[in-house]
Amino acid sequence: MPPSMDAIPCKPLFFDLACNFVEFPNLDDKTGAADSKKQGAGLTG
Amino acid sequence: MSANKENNLVQAYIELNKYCQSGDYDRALKATGKVLQIAPNEQKAFHCKIVCLIQLHNFKEALAVLSNPRNAALASELHFEKAYTQYRLNCPKEALQTVDNAPELTPALKELRAQILYRLEQYQDCYNLYRDIVKNTTDDYEDERKTNMSAVVANLAALNPSSDLPQFD
Repeated sequence: MPPSMDAIPCKPLFFDLACNFVEFPNLDDKTGAADSKKQGAGLTG
Repeated sequence: MSANKENNLVQAYIELNKYCQSGDYDRALKATGKVLQIAPNEQKAFHCKIVCLIQLHNFKEALAVLSNPRNAALASELHFEKAYTQYRLNCPKEALQTVDNAPELTPALKELRAQILYRLEQYQDCYNLYRDIVKNTTDDYEDERKTNMSAVVANLAALNPSSDLPQFD
């Protein structure tokens, strides 16, 4: 005979929100995008 | 650095940036290898490499790379990434130590710290920290954070049913 059923508390839902902070750094200064932006600003005053 | 080498480095970063932005972590990981081959001390490429490994769920290798003494200088600012890999590898004690050794408790480290405290079953500290985060954060995850908080309260209640439990509105 199996043991009788017992109610147990369910495991509460818990989200991993820290994973949203795993982000790439900004690479504009490495790809030259930052320089061209600077130049653009210069051209338009 | 010679002009040629510098040009190659910029090209390698442009390629890396492309894959970062499209979320192609496999190709981005390879691109970080290219950058680091040209210039082994590029901190940003190293940072990208760790992010790729984490996004590819290769936490073991991410932690190994971060902990390698040869990468000490490159890894010195990546407190959050290191703590997160330790958390995911089910080493919450080490993760907490990494968080608390960081010079500043950034919002990312705070969020992670709360999750680590939950894993460590330090529910009262965890609850207090979540209260602080909820009060000071506006983002797209407020519902999920409240869900986490109610999980903390549920655990507090299970441990001590007669205690004064926090109320939710």
